[in-house]
Amino acid sequence: MSQNPTEGFDPNDPIGTWRTIRDANLDAWAKGMTALVNTEVFANAIGLQLDTLLAASAPIQKAVQQYMETYLAQINMPSRAEVVTLAARLTNIELRLDDMQAQLDELLDAVRGLALAESPNGAAAPDEPAAPKTRRVRKPAAES
Amino acid sequence: MTTESPPTLDVEKLTQNLYAEMERLGKSTDMYARIAANRVNIQIGLTPKEAIWTLNKMTLYRFFPQTPPEQRKPVPLLLVFALINRPDIYDLRPGNSFVEYMVRQGYDVYMLDWGRPGLEDAGYDFEDFSLKFLPRAVRAMQRHTGKREFSMCGWCIGATITAIYAAMRPDDGLRNLILLTAPLDFSDKNAGPFNKWLNTDYFNVDELVRQYGNVPGEIIDYGNKMLKPVENWVLNYLKLWDNLDNKAVVDSWLAMNTWVTDGVRFPGAAYRQWIVEFFRENKLIEGKLQMEGRTVDLKNIKASVLNVIADKDHIVPNCQSTTAMDVFGSKDKLLLEMKGGHIGLMVGSGASKRTWPQIDAWLAKRSQ
Repeated sequence: MSQNPTEGFDPNDPIGTWRTIRDANLDAWAKGMTALVNTEVFANAIGLQLDTLLAASAPIQKAVQQYMETYLAQINMPSRAEVVTLAARLTNIELRLDDMQAQLDELLDAVRGLALAESPNGAAAPDEPAAPKTRRVRKPAAES
Repeated sequence: MTTESPPTLDVEKLTQNLYAEMERLGKSTDMYARIAANRVNIQIGLTPKEAIWTLNKMTLYRFFPQTPPEQRKPVPLLLVFALINRPDIYDLRPGNSFVEYMVRQGYDVYMLDWGRPGLEDAGYDFEDFSLKFLPRAVRAMQRHTGKREFSMCGWCIGATITAIYAAMRPDDGLRNLILLTAPLDFSDKNAGPFNKWLNTDYFNVDELVRQYGNVPGEIIDYGNKMLKPVENWVLNYLKLWDNLDNKAVVDSWLAMNTWVTDGVRFPGAAYRQWIVEFFRENKLIEGKLQMEGRTVDLKNIKASVLNVIADKDHIVPNCQSTTAMDVFGSKDKLLLEMKGGHIGLMVGSGASKRTWPQIDAWLAKRSQ
C-alpha cells in the first residue's frame, strides 16, 4: 500500500488517475473471482445451474421432437433421425471410397514400379499416365 | 534520497487533458458501436492454401510454399488442432501466424481441419478421430508429398489425439511429434477448476450429451471463459475500449475475438469420453485406455517428441503435460516451458519472438 495518498496522483490528469485506480480494483476482483471459481461451492453451483437448464429443456425438447416427427410423417418428409442415419451411411461410404482409392493408388504404384523394372532402359512406358498427385477432392463445405 | 514535490494544478494542462479525453471518448464510442454491431470485420486464416483431401466434414489443406525448392525442408509438417474451435488459430493474421512463419522457414505445411460436426457425427469418439480419420489424413498427405516420413504438431485436445495416434501407429512414418499444451495426465484432481466442475457429483455429462447430441461450442466457450470470468468478460472488453485508437491492437483483438466466438460443436461421444475416461478416470496416462481392442500405451511412441507447455496456462495446467515425459517411449524427447497462456503461447508478439523460433530450431534439426 502506498505510504503517501497523493503518490501517483496528478491533479492535471484525473482520468489517468481514475484508470490507475480502476485497474488496481479490477485486478483484485479478477484474482478474487479466479479463486472463487476454483472452489467446490462454485462447482456445485455451476452443476446445479446446468441441471436446471437441462431439466427445463428436456420436456420441451421431447414435445417438439414428437410434434415434428408426426408433422414430417404427415407431409411425407423424412424425420431428422432418418436424415441423420442417411448422412452417417454416406460417411461410411465415403470412408470405404477413400480406402479403395488408397488401395488403387498402391496398386498403380506397384504396376508402374514393375513396368519400370521390366523396361529395357529403365524408363516408364510412354503411354502410361502419370500418378495423380492430388487425390479426390471436393470443395470444402461452406462456412456457416 | 530526493523527494519529488507533488505536481501542482495547472488549469490549462488540465483543460487540455480533459478535452483530449472527451475527443477520444467520442471516437471510441463510435468505433465500439461499430464493433458491437459487427460492422468491423476481420478475416483470419489468410495464408494461401489449397484443399487436397476431404472426408466427411474434414479437410486437409496444404499451404503453398514460399521458399525456393532448394531451401525447403524435406519432411512435411502436419498441424492438428482440437475438436473445439477452428484450426485457424494456427494461421491467425498475416504477421501473427505460425503457419506463415513455418512456411517461410521452408516447411511443407499441411493442416487438418476437423470441420463442423453434424448430428450424424455425434457417435464419433477419440478412437475415430485418432485411429480412423487422422491416419487417413496422414495417408493423403503422404500420397501428396510422395514421402513416408512426416512431422506432426497437435495443440490442446489435438495434442492428445496426435499422442494417441503416435502410440498406436508408431510405424506409420511419424518422425517428429510436437505437442502444444497437451492434456494427457489428469491425476492431480486439484489442478484447475475443470477437475472440480467436471466431478461426477456436480456434472451430468450423460444428460448433456443425450439432450444436445453434440455439445454446443457456446457451452464449451462458456466453460473456458468461466475459468477467468473477470478477465474474459470485463478486462477483455476494457482492453479494447482503452485501445480503440490503436489500429494494431484493435485488429489483433478482432482477430482473436473472431476465432474465440467461432466455436465448434464437440461430438457427443468424444465429449463424453473426454470427461469420463480422460478427466475422471485418467485412463490414458495409466495405460487403461482401450482402442481397437488394444491398450493405448504412450511408451510405444517412437517419434522424437517436443512437449511445449505454457507457464500461465489456466486451461491445461502444466502438470497435465509434464508428467507424460516419463511415459513417452521416445529416446529423443524434450520438455519446453515457454512464457504465455494456453493460446498466447502460439499467438502474438511473444510467440513470434520466442515459441516459434524454438519450435523451428528443434524441428529443423530433425527434418533433414
